[in-house]
Formats: sequence, structure tokens, C-alpha cells
Amino acid sequence: MHMATTLTVNGETKSFDAPPDMPLLWVLRDILGMTGTKFGCGIAQCGACTVHVDGKAVRSCVLSVSAVANRAITTIEHIGSTPAGAKVQKAWLEAEVVQCGYCQSGQIMSAAALLASTPNPDDSDIDAAMAGNICRCGTYVRIREAIKHAANGQS
Amino acid sequence: MSGKMRILTGVIVIGVVAAGLGVWIIRGPGPLDFAGGPKVALADYRAGKPTGVPAKLEKASLVERGEYLAKAADCMVCHTKPGEKDYSGGLGFKLPFGTLYSTNITPDKDTGIGNYSDQDFLNAVQRGKRHDGARLYPAMPYTSYTYMSDDDVLAVKAYLFSLPAVRAKPPENTLSFPFNQRWAMIFWSAVFNPDTRYMPDTSKSPEWNRGAYLVEALAHCGECHTPRNLGFALDNRKKFGGAITAGWRAFNISSDKATGLGNWRDEDLTSYLSLGHAPGHGSASGPMGEAVDHSFSQFAPEDISSIVAYLRSVPPVPSPDLPATTAPVAPASHKDGVTADARGKMLFAGACASCHGWSGESPVSPMATLTGTWAVNDPAATNVAQIVLSGTKRHTPDGALSMPAFGNAYSDDEIAAVANYVTARFGTKGSKLTAKDVAELREQTAE
Repeated sequence: MHMATTLTVNGETKSFDAPPDMPLLWVLRDILGMTGTKFGCGIAQCGACTVHVDGKAVRSCVLSVSAVANRAITTIEHIGSTPAGAKVQKAWLEAEVVQCGYCQSGQIMSAAALLASTPNPDDSDIDAAMAGNICRCGTYVRIREAIKHAANGQS
Repeated sequence: MSGKMRILTGVIVIGVVAAGLGVWIIRGPGPLDFAGGPKVALADYRAGKPTGVPAKLEKASLVERGEYLAKAADCMVCHTKPGEKDYSGGLGFKLPFGTLYSTNITPDKDTGIGNYSDQDFLNAVQRGKRHDGARLYPAMPYTSYTYMSDDDVLAVKAYLFSLPAVRAKPPENTLSFPFNQRWAMIFWSAVFNPDTRYMPDTSKSPEWNRGAYLVEALAHCGECHTPRNLGFALDNRKKFGGAITAGWRAFNISSDKATGLGNWRDEDLTSYLSLGHAPGHGSASGPMGEAVDHSFSQFAPEDISSIVAYLRSVPPVPSPDLPATTAPVAPASHKDGVTADARGKMLFAGACASCHGWSGESPVSPMATLTGTWAVNDPAATNVAQIVLSGTKRHTPDGALSMPAFGNAYSDDEIAAVANYVTARFGTKGSKLTAKDVAELREQTAE
């Protein structure tokens, strides 16, 4: 059963037909064509699909589209226009965090949500916020450095 | 009479009286004795119609009425092994003394119930007596179904006989002596099966009577939510006081204000039964999740209201091991609140926090909120460990929400650590589960 659905994605209103239990990730990638958000595990255990809903980092692969109507969704395509997101992206480039890159949109979304709520995170804050984002290339050391640089405004 | 004879007679009389008293004590009250009002036979009750189907199905075919009643009695969950054909049996119930497998109740003549006459079917459902005369084990809740009217039982039969016959033979039971002696169930039944149909209580409303019939005869809530006595039968002195069944804790559903349903609003109960979730009370998972999916979510709204009305009348039975109130929302920062159990915290950060949040209030969905649930407020952490092991999936009118099963991804030790952290952070008292406890919980779930 498809239903007319309206979402607010990156500040824009998007209307489309989708089954109410379709995960937000499918809507973003397959219906709205926003492929920056990645599919990893499909069970909220790797973090590749992280987006923001009302400013909080959530896994879009387990979130049905009906649950996010009337909530503000931000994706990797738009995160650079938020203050925390811009700092994170800049620090990411300067620290050369990315290796293969597949997990990185999720990493950046989690890091931006962390900095928005905790402007000066210590190591334990970074662990608590980033532990659910897995990187098979093992860029964790550079991720931690980049988050600290973004927080300090240095790069 | 000689002196010896008199003594012998006296001994026999004392023996019979003692045995009778023993049976009376162990059997305890029946499931509806608490109501106390005058009871009449169904045929003599004029105020309402406690049995049968809701008004909208009154004119439906026998098969359709049977389908509603089969769902209300939740036959399918026990008589279907996940992944196999509906009603073809083979689900294993792991008991301390062996495994019992459910039977095929499709109309297959060799492996199912295709040869059952109406009387055979009534005997099985209401009396625990098989077609070939052998006795059923009370894992089949015939001590509840015995309250069903003959018409309703036969409507269920008509529905089952309308389904495709599936050829499937369940595995042999592996019960140890003396539990493998089926004939002994004759005595169990004689003591514990009232073998009587539902009798309306004329001091109560028609709605209450419908609710009583649905809860006691069909939905058999007590089979999980009422603790068992020495004879493994329901101990209605603690009716609906909660119990462990198939490795999951069925919580207190008596009207106790602190630990039962006494402080739930009517709309919370309605929502929990029909959608599997009530705001601030958590979501149904495990066996109750299955009961919602296959049974309660299919009930007509007026039947849910009747169940709520009836549940309200069940006397309060406290659960002394549960806290008087559930814990409030935990702090938003991982640094505040419980800090012990570094290992549990590390696991929670990696696998749980993205959906459940550090405060216990889910950023994803109210259905994933931990705050206020009995599961996290149970110092034994039984259901926390179980849901981590087996995951859950809830269907709502808005779609589905699922939690993955972590049973194959994490060790018993890790699951114990995360359960202990979760109960300490979001509940009133942290659990002290060990890897051995988790291994035992794995063993108890039906499969």
C-alpha cells in the first residue's frame, strides 16, 4: 500500500508516494535520489546510514518513513550548511580522515550531532557518540583527531 | 465390626479425607472464583452474549467465525514452527524435564487432525483427550479452553478444517521419566481440569462477562501471567501476579497499583493490546509480542474494551521483587547517571545508544523508549536479556519497527554486561546477571 507522504528534508518539503513502513534510507536514496547516505548493515549496527532527525543522529535504515513525518531531516548533502557540520567537514579534509569513504557520511553526521550538543567533547564523549559508527579501514584515530580539531576551531 | 476392622476403616477414612484435603489445598480457587457473584448456565443467561463472535461477524459463515475465535484463542503461535506452514506444529517447548513438541492441527489425515470427529475435537480442546484416547500434556491449555462453548470450539474446528492439509510430523517428545508417562495426566486432569463451560456471573455487566470469557476461555492469559503451583497448574491465589514462562517474564497483570495494571489508563491497555505498545509502558516483545501480532491486534474494538473491563476487576496481587515505581528518565549525557560497568557501557554505546538514546527516551520512536518499562525495572533483567538475544519486530498501522537479534553476535558474558548496565542506568536497581544466567535463558526459549 502506497501513501502520499510529505517530509521536510534539508529544509525543503518533499512529497512522494511510499509504503508507510518503508525505511527512511530507501526513501532518501531510491525515491528522492539523495545517495550520499549509505546502506551498510540494514539493522542499525554500523552507522553508515546516519542522518539527523530534529538535530539528533539516527539510523535511517530502521526508521520507517511514517515515523518521521513532521520532523526535520538533515542529510550529508546539507550538513555543510550547519555550523557544526561545516567545521566537521573542514577538519575532515585537513586531517585527511577518509580512506575508502563508504562509512564517512555516517561518521560526519554523528560527529556533527556530537559537536552541536557537546561543543568541547573529551575522549569519553567521542567514544559514547561515535561507537556505533564502524569504519573497516580503521580511520578511528584520524576521526578522533578531526573531531577535536573541529571543536577547537583549529585545523 | 472387629477392633482391627474399625482401625482399618478409620485409617482409610483418614487417608481419603487427607487426600481430599490435599487436592483441595493444592488446587486452590478456580480462575473466576474471585468474582463471587451468582452463576448461571450460558443457556439461561439473557443479559448479553459472552460467547461467540462480535456483532459485525454475527452473520458471517461458520468458517469466518471460527477464524476469529481461533485467533482469539491464539492457536497458531504454539502450533506453528517459525518458517513452517501455519498450524503444522513442531514448535518445541523446552521444559526442565525435556522438550515437548506441538502437534499438527491442519486437516491432514495421517499427521494432522483430519480424522477428528466433532466429539474428538471437543474432547481434545475441552478435556485434553486425544483422538486415540491418549492424554494431552497441559502445555495445551485445555484447562482454559474447557470454558469455551461447544459451538465456539466447533467453529474453530470448521476453520481449521477449511485450511490446506499439511503433511508434517512433529519430532517425538524427549520428556524424561516420570514425565513421559502420558497416562498419569488422567490424574492431573481429574484434579486440575474443571471440565466445565463458562458460566456467566449475573452480578456483573454483560461487558465484564464477555471480557471474562475472552480472557479465561480463549486468550488464556493466566497460562503465562499466573504463577504455577506444586502440580504445575495455575495458582489462582496469585491470579495474574506474573510468572516466568518459556524464559520470558510475563509481568503482573492484576489490578495492583504499583506493580500491576492498577495505574494504567484504559487507553494504555487498549493501545498495548491492540498495537503492542503503550506510551510510557514500553512495547510487547517475545511471547506477548506474538500474542499481539496474531491474536489481540485482530480483536474487535468492543472485545478489547471488554477485556480491559474484566482485567480491572481482578484483585490486586503485589510483585514484591519489583520496585514500587519505575525509574525516571536517565540523564541525557553518558557521563551522568550510572557510570559503573565499563564493559556494559561500551557495548551500549556501540550497539544500543543510537536507537535507545542515553536517556532511555528513544530519538527514533516512542516504541523504542526504555524509560518506564518493567523490563528495565526488573532487577532480574530477564526480558532485557531475552530481547537482546532474540530481538523484536512490532507492526503498527504506521509501519514496522524492529530491533535486531544480538544472540549470535555477542557472547553470554557481553549480553550479561549490557543487561546489567541497562537495568542500572534506566531502571531502579541494576541486575547482576552472569554469563551462566544468560546461557540458561537461551536454553529456555521455545523454538
